[in-house]
Amino acid sequence: MATRNRTVEFRKYRDTVKSLRTPLSSSASASSGGPVIEMVNTSLLRSSNRSSYTPLSTQDPGPSSSSDAFTVGLPPSWVDDSEEIATNIQRAKVKMSELTKAHAKALMPSFGDGKDDQRQIETLSREITALLRKSEVRLKKLSAGRGSSEESNVRKNVQRSLATDLQNLSMDLRRKQSAYLKRLQKQQEGYDGIDLEINFNGSKSRLQDDGFDDVGFSEAQMTKLKKNEHISAEREREIDQVASSVHELAQIMKDLSVLVIDQGTIVDRIDYNIQSVATTVEEGFKQLQKAERTQKKGGMITCATVLVIMCFVMLVLLIIKEIIF
Amino acid sequence: MVLTSSARDYFNRILQDISGMKVLILDSQTVSIVSVVYSQSELLQKEVFLVELVDSISKSNEPMSHLKAIYFLRPTSENIQYMRRQLASPRFGEYHLFFSNIMKDHHIHLLADSDEQEVVQQVQEFYADFVAIDPYHFTFHVPSNYIYMLPAVIDPSALQRFSDRVVEGLAAVFLALKRRPVIRYQRTSDIAKRIAQEAAKLMYQEESGLFDFRRMEVSPLLLVIDRRDDPVTPLLNQWTYQAMVHELIGIQDNKVDVKSIGKFPKDQEEVVLSSEQDSFFKANMYDNFGDIGMNIKRLVDEFQQVAKSNQNIQTVEDMAKFVDNYPEYRKMHGNVTKHVTLVTEMSKIVEERKLMLVSQTEQELACNGGQGAAFEAVTNLLNNESISDLDRLRLVMLYALRYEKDSPVQLMQLFNKLASRSAKYKPGLVQFLLKQAGVDKRTADLYGNRDLMNIARNMARGLKGVENVYTQHQPLLFQIMESIVKGRLRDVDYPFFGNHFQQGRPQDVVIFIVGGTTYEESRSVALQNASNTGVRFILGGSSVLNSKRFFKDMEEAQRVARSSTSIV
Repeated sequence: MATRNRTVEFRKYRDTVKSLRTPLSSSASASSGGPVIEMVNTSLLRSSNRSSYTPLSTQDPGPSSSSDAFTVGLPPSWVDDSEEIATNIQRAKVKMSELTKAHAKALMPSFGDGKDDQRQIETLSREITALLRKSEVRLKKLSAGRGSSEESNVRKNVQRSLATDLQNLSMDLRRKQSAYLKRLQKQQEGYDGIDLEINFNGSKSRLQDDGFDDVGFSEAQMTKLKKNEHISAEREREIDQVASSVHELAQIMKDLSVLVIDQGTIVDRIDYNIQSVATTVEEGFKQLQKAERTQKKGGMITCATVLVIMCFVMLVLLIIKEIIF
Repeated sequence: MVLTSSARDYFNRILQDISGMKVLILDSQTVSIVSVVYSQSELLQKEVFLVELVDSISKSNEPMSHLKAIYFLRPTSENIQYMRRQLASPRFGEYHLFFSNIMKDHHIHLLADSDEQEVVQQVQEFYADFVAIDPYHFTFHVPSNYIYMLPAVIDPSALQRFSDRVVEGLAAVFLALKRRPVIRYQRTSDIAKRIAQEAAKLMYQEESGLFDFRRMEVSPLLLVIDRRDDPVTPLLNQWTYQAMVHELIGIQDNKVDVKSIGKFPKDQEEVVLSSEQDSFFKANMYDNFGDIGMNIKRLVDEFQQVAKSNQNIQTVEDMAKFVDNYPEYRKMHGNVTKHVTLVTEMSKIVEERKLMLVSQTEQELACNGGQGAAFEAVTNLLNNESISDLDRLRLVMLYALRYEKDSPVQLMQLFNKLASRSAKYKPGLVQFLLKQAGVDKRTADLYGNRDLMNIARNMARGLKGVENVYTQHQPLLFQIMESIVKGRLRDVDYPFFGNHFQQGRPQDVVIFIVGGTTYEESRSVALQNASNTGVRFILGGSSVLNSKRFFKDMEEAQRVARSSTSIV
């Protein structure tokens, strides 16, 4: 994996060419003198660390400043949209890790009733789902709008890549939630078992008690039973909630699956994409030519007819003139 | 190191170091290079949102300063011209130029000269200048591949272009492997010698600094051989999966275009057959056609199981599971459809062209002696109505190559018969092949009948019997590899170039076949590498041949040769 960096050689030559060129057109380039000097500085700076080929983006402010120096106009508005979706995804990712922690905590046996944990899980998953929803809506908007074929291609690709990210994220979330759900259900089954046991104990004690007087459950047993009932109701509600959010995610997933590229298929080939772009461009070009031709033909025909009519009118005028005079 | 992964590493490095939205600009050759090792979805992950060809990107002038342009081009003067024009009026925010091979100094100067606005951020050489179709198989897709058959006097500049491209490609392969090889070549082939000579000059003189890597105890070996030394392999019908697909339908950069053999829905007109992405293909690409049928049946059964479990959805849990498995299911569905389609289409072709019958005779001609029986078999097949013209021509060529000197009379009879049966038959093509690759031209003992050792070995094999009649042929390459492993490749036939000799047995061997490789040879190399002899082989060629392409090259060469002699 050998590589060779020819940047230094290139820059050296570029600088010599420029120094030759500047005196000739010094007055013309006076206005652009500022950025040029800046560029030279950055280039020197960069050439000093070229020996170990380091990423430009992390430590080098050069690119952005240099591009600002001579590019007019801002990036199109969809770039903002895509950036926002990207930050949303980032935020959702952070929340996901929080959610994982909360899940683990909620499933741990604890002395408290764990309500706080559950509330946290609820809010977190609701937030994540909302973020995903929002991003999805934005994503759909991304492809709308006009532009040249290249521009719309870029937009389509951005959309695809964000869709893939979103889909992975929502899959991840769903997997986590269903795992949580499963374990929650398991725990509940455990509770049911306890319930049964209590009932069993209760009936047994009732049998024993029958001999004496009809007291029913003892006070302590009653409260325990109530508490268990309460807990299981709570759990059920929770399960419902998680299930509904799973459903919602499934919807998002379905919407996204149209956009995501299947790996290993022909659509995933780089050359295929280039070819199809080329053919669509070619087709467009043909259509354009055709349109031009028909237009031209139309123009020519009207022109000819106008001329013929004019000829006729002139002829009539000429005849009238001959007759009158 | 494997070629596919080193090419991938190159692109990873190119794409990783540049952050933000990117546009990748390629030329017609680098498109193939990138496509076989990288996928569109991977590009999207790396924030490459537009891929364009260098000649079509210059058609539009709309500025896209929010994108950074990454050029990955071969350093040809044509591409440099495109670059100059685009640098003169930049459309993108930044320009990062990567060239796939050693750049000439004046090209750098030209580029620097036209970069008045100083948009170029870096100029680098990343030596991924080979199409790595399989881990141990690469090709260069040299345009006008037929040139190698012609003597140098006919078209010197075209031949120069051909050998330049090959030498550059070989240099890139060794730079990617970070090695400097010792070079051997096939003595009787002028073009092999020429390529060896120019490669040696490049690696040991012109760019010796670039090739000066850490010394290994044993240098790798580059062996340059000529296709014409084994003209039999590209003429045979194939019965292993990958080779068969290429022979009957045609593979181009791991893509199969099935449009020509039937009607298919729009998204299945082309399918991908890549050992890197498709695990079923990877497991079965070297298997027999019969075994493939069984394995595909197993694949279909497996798929049915999955499909069935997806069908009965009753509870919410099932639903959730289904949605989880759905992408996997869809992927599997596509894969199963692809392989089933290919195999059905191929068995249709086999049936139609009576390839079982033809292939048996072909294999007999290639592997076993017995002239009388062979003549009879070929005559019978020539008379058979359902045999295609292509197969007839093939049979006569195989017969001619084998019994060239033994019976000129019978050969003439076959020629006449062929001419009368097949209207398409181009007169003199068989003779042209004999002139190109006849027994006098060949270095190696192709049929194993020149010395006693080989005759004895063949007889022994004949006594032992063969497992499969249709795949008994071993390409000549197999013998060459065996003698390299044993250290017995003869210096007389395959001399070293210059004064760089081999000490001991090489561990890495790159065998380059001028004129093109076949998938049968690629299979042979892969099996050899799997058998773990301590020597690793990599096979390369100027193109990937099947019999159709081989014929096309021959026809083209014959046409050019004839037209030039008529001028003289």
